[in-house]
Amino acid sequence: MPEAKLPDSKLTARNVDVFYGDKKAIDDVSIDIGNGVVTAFIGPSGCGKSTFLRTLNRMNDTIAGARVTGQILLDGEDIYDRDMDPVALRARVGMVFQKPNPFPKSIYENVAYGPRIHGLAQAKPEMDAIVEKALTRAGLWNEVKDRLTDAGTALSGGQQQRLCIARAVAVSPEVILMDEPCSALDPIATARIEELIEDLKDRYAIVIVTHSMQQAARVSQRTAFFHLGKMVEYGDTDQIFTNPREERTKDYITGRYG
Amino acid sequence: MSNTWKNPDMARRIARRNAAERRFKALGLGAIVLSLLFLAVLLFIMLKNGLGGLDWAFLSGSDATDASAAGVWGAAKGSFLTMVVTLVLSFPMGVLAAIYLEEFAPRNRWVDWVEVSINNLAAVPSIIFGLLGLAVFINTLGMARSSPLVGGLTLALMTMPVIVISGRNAIKAVPPSIRTAALGVGASPVQVVFHHVLPLALPGILTGTIIGMARALGETAPLLMIGMRAFVATPASGINDPSSVLPMQIFLWSDEIDRGFVQNTSAAIIVLLVFLLAMNGLAIYLRNKFETRW
Repeated sequence: MPEAKLPDSKLTARNVDVFYGDKKAIDDVSIDIGNGVVTAFIGPSGCGKSTFLRTLNRMNDTIAGARVTGQILLDGEDIYDRDMDPVALRARVGMVFQKPNPFPKSIYENVAYGPRIHGLAQAKPEMDAIVEKALTRAGLWNEVKDRLTDAGTALSGGQQQRLCIARAVAVSPEVILMDEPCSALDPIATARIEELIEDLKDRYAIVIVTHSMQQAARVSQRTAFFHLGKMVEYGDTDQIFTNPREERTKDYITGRYG
Repeated sequence: MSNTWKNPDMARRIARRNAAERRFKALGLGAIVLSLLFLAVLLFIMLKNGLGGLDWAFLSGSDATDASAAGVWGAAKGSFLTMVVTLVLSFPMGVLAAIYLEEFAPRNRWVDWVEVSINNLAAVPSIIFGLLGLAVFINTLGMARSSPLVGGLTLALMTMPVIVISGRNAIKAVPPSIRTAALGVGASPVQVVFHHVLPLALPGILTGTIIGMARALGETAPLLMIGMRAFVATPASGINDPSSVLPMQIFLWSDEIDRGFVQNTSAAIIVLLVFLLAMNGLAIYLRNKFETRW
């Protein structure tokens, strides 16, 4: 089992197993996820990378029969502890999904919804400021500032995904999880999101699951390779792609399977 | 081998296929025309027999032994009061049950059993609900016989499963991605339901509710059991007063021998149909108003 300790880790997972009913989907994964860097999870379909990502903000709680054992710490706090409120946790660990999923509401409401339910703004001007800041961070402000009342679902796919990023950013998360955020987008929209990830990484710990090895190489500083529910190798992205230690990693990144 | 697409066999096969298409379209058209024809004939007969009897005295009067003095107001008011009781009870209960079953209930044998029971309840003959209403509301709880309250309670039992089923279908049709999106920004499960799922499911729930209500409005059998077939000459002033309802009034008048009641029967049917059309119109209006496209 490769050791994966980091000095300044934001999220620390130790010996995490995930079961769906009797089936073990994740087997004994331990990993430290750093602050201010982008960590990519790569691996063939069904390897468990998305499942593991979803344990990090307890999205798996919503799936009947899913069970997590082991320990996951966010800044030293056990997120599966009895005292940890999964609702508050998901505000701190935001998520962007594979398919852009804006609410069928206005652009403004999409972004304002999270801050509103968490009581982050007292009055309208304060909320306006939060919405503007979030849309600016997501690189969408200039495109939508004149039509904030338009439906979020009327935007193009790439814009919708950036709206979803703005929605996640608006509640001031500490970690942003991205589950194949570009797999439904064209290359130009993908490039736009990748630039955005680069801009966001200083403020948040970002974890991105991706099918595209090129994307992992472009956007991430650290990469974890998953295969058959196990984390095979974890290290600096450069090292993983140029000089993998494990034979299976090498076979995958050279395109022998996947 | 000659050209596959130019030999006579192929031409015949295509001609046969086109003929089959034409036959099917003709059959479908025939089915629609036939059913609309029945409806048109029914409407025509009703209007021909009843329109002459529809005047202000008929609309504002109550049942009487004399056909020319009898009116429909008492029964219409009874129907209205009964529907209000039914709606107030069955809508919140049905919607809450649908939300619970669809969004919160654990998957186990008990919940499966509840689901099967609700589906079966929707198929129970309405007379059984009448017997239940008689036994529970009147004989056990001592509520007033023939009253819109007992009628409404009984019809609510009948309507609730319909609302639960249509509500669950409407909730199921809301894309799961909306739920994960809301959970992802830290909404609690109840917030997810009330801020996102319910508003999107509302048009479907309302449509189901109004269909259930329309069925309850036309229901006669269960109300027979709880005594709403009594002769009531004064309109009910509250939900505890004895009253009749429109379909029951139609049933009672259709039994009369006096020629004058034939006209009254048809006129009351017209009133009931207008009532139903208004409710269906409301359903369509509400559905379009709350419809969200995504």
